[in-house]
Amino acid sequence: MSKVISTAQTSEQPLIYHLRDVVKTREAEGVAFRLRIPSLQIAMGEKIALIGESGCGKSTLLDMLAFILQPSAVGAFRFRPERNGEPLDIQDYWKNGRLNELGDLRKRHIGYVMQTGGLLPYLTVRDNMNLCRSVLGLRPDGMVEHVAEELGITAHLGKLPDALSTGERQRVAIGRAVAHRPSIVIADEPTASLDPYAAEKVMSMFIGLAEEFNITVILASHAWRNIKQLGLRRLTHRTTCDADNKLTETMVSG
Amino acid sequence: MAGSWSKVFRLASRDYVHEWLMSGCFVLALAAVLGPMMVLFGLKFGIVGAMVDELIENPLNREIRPVGSGYYDHAWLESVRARPDVAFLVPRTRSIAATIELSSQHSSRIVTVELMASDHGDPLLPQDSPLPEGTTRVVLSRSAADKLDVAPGDILDGSLARRFRGQQERVHLPLSVAAIAPAQAFTRDGAFVSLTLLEALEDFRDGRAVPPLGWEGEPADANRTYPGFRLYARTIYDVEGLRDAFARLNVDVHTRSAEIELVQRMNRNLTAIYWAIAIVGLVGFSLSLGASLWANIDRKRKELSVLRLVGFRTADIVWFPMVQALFTAVLGWALAVAIYLATALVINDMLAAQLETGQQVCRLLPWHYAIALLLTCTAAVLAAGLAGLRSARVEPSEGLRDL
Repeated sequence: MSKVISTAQTSEQPLIYHLRDVVKTREAEGVAFRLRIPSLQIAMGEKIALIGESGCGKSTLLDMLAFILQPSAVGAFRFRPERNGEPLDIQDYWKNGRLNELGDLRKRHIGYVMQTGGLLPYLTVRDNMNLCRSVLGLRPDGMVEHVAEELGITAHLGKLPDALSTGERQRVAIGRAVAHRPSIVIADEPTASLDPYAAEKVMSMFIGLAEEFNITVILASHAWRNIKQLGLRRLTHRTTCDADNKLTETMVSG
Repeated sequence: MAGSWSKVFRLASRDYVHEWLMSGCFVLALAAVLGPMMVLFGLKFGIVGAMVDELIENPLNREIRPVGSGYYDHAWLESVRARPDVAFLVPRTRSIAATIELSSQHSSRIVTVELMASDHGDPLLPQDSPLPEGTTRVVLSRSAADKLDVAPGDILDGSLARRFRGQQERVHLPLSVAAIAPAQAFTRDGAFVSLTLLEALEDFRDGRAVPPLGWEGEPADANRTYPGFRLYARTIYDVEGLRDAFARLNVDVHTRSAEIELVQRMNRNLTAIYWAIAIVGLVGFSLSLGASLWANIDRKRKELSVLRLVGFRTADIVWFPMVQALFTAVLGWALAVAIYLATALVINDMLAAQLETGQQVCRLLPWHYAIALLLTCTAAVLAAGLAGLRSARVEPSEGLRDL
């Protein structure tokens, strides 16, 4: 009985992202790249994996979902960060140059884990993890320490990023992305620079934290086998080249 | 909003301290250009300033003397004295009659001194100096006082002679030393005396009676005229106008306007040369400051993108490099001031022997430092603001991926 109800609830979860016919075209030195998203729907609390070789447009999609890259053409781009809120028309923000408001949405609702960490070298691990919280004006409530413990980096809280290994830096980056309890965390190959064993460990810490705080996860990775045991929904995509290699097109839907 | 500005300020300062080596280089680069410019300006200001001070402070440069002798009556002299560009005017008697022989108890010498009419506000005498008065108190020149070996308060014996009604006649009158004039006021043997005394001596020599002193003779002429006067313009800049005014009145005068004009022309030329160098320096300075700040922001694009990503606004992103540019400006300025002060000390010390006490070849006023600081900060904020705006306009995703 309880299982049935929970399944029903899942299927009725409101959509946090709803994209239709979104296109991003990039051109460099005569070679064009086009990312096409006929339809993409992501429900709250879902964990999505975007798998593919580098260069297939994963980062492009993630940047558009994080509002740091403007789509070239949009059928619909709706974002609903709060269960009780109205969906927001993101394209409308882009068209009217409301970049600071997009920044505010990102600040409140999105955590972002970069491929290479993106930690500020002049801040301690604690201050780096506290960055998003401090921008939002959140009071210290033990959250940073808790997340640090979960990620096994408590001993490093007072150090500067330079003193940490690559794996530890990625864990700090993950901690920074979740410490302000956003609705979504977007992670672009967060473990690409780690050895497979460390990668697996960091990834399961990350997914564990996301589940603990009920955060929607959108994750890009080039290797499915490293993460298939984590129970993520995999987005399908198809990459085609035209005859003279002038145009590469990737189509993502899900 | 204010909260996020102070957050950015804190982040920018921590980055600045964290990158102390790089920050130090920027500060050095700034001071290396600004310091020599301040020395250059200090020299220009000090040298020209000393020349102009000398020109303004030395009353001899404001003196206007009539050439030859004339017949100037009271009314005419009063009308000249009333001019706003005249600081001091006192009539004088015939110079041949304006001498007296002085002797004192301390010295065996009899010294013949030239007498100068003086009055309140005489520019050659210090402002707080006691003045000559009536027929009893005189101010001696340094040289005369030395020869007579007297000090203020001492009594002198003055004597003069005339040939009157066919007979040689000599009179004596006691004179007290009111003060000794500064050495540069009058370099020969002389005394500053009241006009009353000068008129009495002239009357005596002309065979006229001087009742207050009990000297007999013809009755004095009621309409007295004077052959000349001592006149000082209010400032050196009034000298030329006064000379022209006297020329219109057909009074030939001698002035030092040639010397004044020479210094003024030198001032103008030096100022022009200075500005030519200063403008070249300022352009170079702005370019070097702008280039280093611009390069710095390019270097920081990734970190600025991270700030963008965690939700800082465009204005905050621009504020970040501006804060750092301000640090560079203030620290660079402080170092430049230190360089300047050390250099100025050495230069002034080296040339101290050739200068009067208190004079400086290299010097700046407090507001010069303030202007230098203001210029530096403005240039820094402008360059950093423009570069910051450029980097804030870049789509944040580009900054993140490029590097």
